[in-house]
Amino acid sequence: MTFELDAVFIEEGSRGSALAERIAGALPPGIPIAFVPDGRVAAMPDGSADPFGAGKRRMVVMRRRTPFLSACPAASTRFVCCGYLVLAFASNCPMDCSYCFLQEYVADNPGFQVFSNYADAFEELDRLSHASPGRHFRVGTGDLADSLALDSLTRLSGDLIDYFAARENLTLELKTKTCEIGNLMRIDPRGRVMVSWTLSPDAVFRSSEHRAASPAERIGAARAVLDAGYRIGFHFDPIISYPGAERDYAELADALLDSIPAARISIVSLGGLRMTPALKAAARRRFPDDPMLCGEDVLAPDGRYRTFTPLRLKLYRVLAERFERAGAKCSPYLCMEPASIHERVFGAAPERRAAIAERLAQA
Amino acid sequence: MSSNAKTAPTADASVEHQIRSLAEKRHLPAPHLEQWLALDAPSRARFLEIAQSLRLRTGQLLGALDMLAEIAVRERADVAAILSKPQVARIIDGAGSAPERAHQFIEEIRALRFPRLRASVDRIRAEAAAIRLPRGARLVLPKELGSDELTIELKVRTVAELEKFISALGEKRSAIARIIAMLGGSDDV
Repeated sequence: MTFELDAVFIEEGSRGSALAERIAGALPPGIPIAFVPDGRVAAMPDGSADPFGAGKRRMVVMRRRTPFLSACPAASTRFVCCGYLVLAFASNCPMDCSYCFLQEYVADNPGFQVFSNYADAFEELDRLSHASPGRHFRVGTGDLADSLALDSLTRLSGDLIDYFAARENLTLELKTKTCEIGNLMRIDPRGRVMVSWTLSPDAVFRSSEHRAASPAERIGAARAVLDAGYRIGFHFDPIISYPGAERDYAELADALLDSIPAARISIVSLGGLRMTPALKAAARRRFPDDPMLCGEDVLAPDGRYRTFTPLRLKLYRVLAERFERAGAKCSPYLCMEPASIHERVFGAAPERRAAIAERLAQA
Repeated sequence: MSSNAKTAPTADASVEHQIRSLAEKRHLPAPHLEQWLALDAPSRARFLEIAQSLRLRTGQLLGALDMLAEIAVRERADVAAILSKPQVARIIDGAGSAPERAHQFIEEIRALRFPRLRASVDRIRAEAAAIRLPRGARLVLPKELGSDELTIELKVRTVAELEKFISALGEKRSAIARIIAMLGGSDDV
């Protein structure tokens, strides 16, 4: 385990669960375990100056009371949607990226929650799979948490991969900024699991992505899982406009393509930094000295701060052209952008949502 | 102890008193007052001088404090150094009324905070102005280039006026297309 915890709280209802047993058995010595009647209370903000940061170091093993499976929270009629489905196996993340949307999204319950009744999710997935046997779905666990950050403790990846490997129309996407791939190397994904990495230039990594693996380490880990039979993807998201960004993003893409041929990369997504005013305020409060939070971002029509449009599009083009020239098997897609932006970057109107979702699930 | 060392705390206390007094008069929110007081001594004193001499209004104070804080992070410089840049000093020490200079000061701070945006806006505005649409027709750029949408505004009272505008827009089609392309980043941003 490369991430530190201050304490683990186990909800009484989760005492004796497979997940609680695994975590208790794998914890390094000295981390106290306490049993609590209601994990939701343990996950609430404490009285510290930085309750979100403190929440990251307080693991809460508890039952999830709401469905595990949902549409991606970024989905909106305003944007072209990729049809990604979110499986919430955990909430919050031990890394601490200055731009992370969780600073706003889980501000009211920042404890690092992992859900002991995760097997219920498989019933939800079965219902989805059986209801639409002719369609393919891409389902990821890396939205409200990093998919692999604490996998050495939870070993959830094993259960997930075993389940998805046997489902023809479901693709699992494990999204991470770590190199925690040890458990993956022991399982045969049967081609139905994609591992994806968020990639940023070194300048962003050093300034903003605290406790994450370096970009070179992420690319190295991607190469390793590719060789082990996994599909791989990369998310250049958030793309941040700082002086020298065009050069750095181009070099990052080149470094990636030097290690991994474009034709072997299943998906690439691009997304500009976007922050609601509340998120920006929270991020600036927590990371007042991070220049990446002070880019040329203006209030866009969707109420989020984004890099002003011509510069944002220029950054997208730098990356899109790199992958196109390298012979990528499918063009990158843009996250949380309207159709007009897709058309300007790629020179053609985007496909319909169902077609994009189908293509990405099978990529 | 030198005389400077003796007087410095007094001077600093006076600056703080003046800042608090101005903040109260301008109804400055507490977080912004704290932000101002948290600046290093030369920075908070220099900003006070400027706020007083240009008679910055509440919105201008808030905007300037926020932008200066972000410029300081971007440039890894203190606020006093930013305020002593020649293009800023020229406005502060220049001619004109206090409200005029206050407006120019805020615009210059904005240009320092968003240098590429400012350059982009200037280029697109210059292209748009060169199109010379008839009176009553106007190209409206998206606010701060926050979107890629160009608004074409026509004020008509008669069908003849409408036809005149449609004809003019047709004639200027390629120049307008160039503006649309620039909004999409085709220009050298």
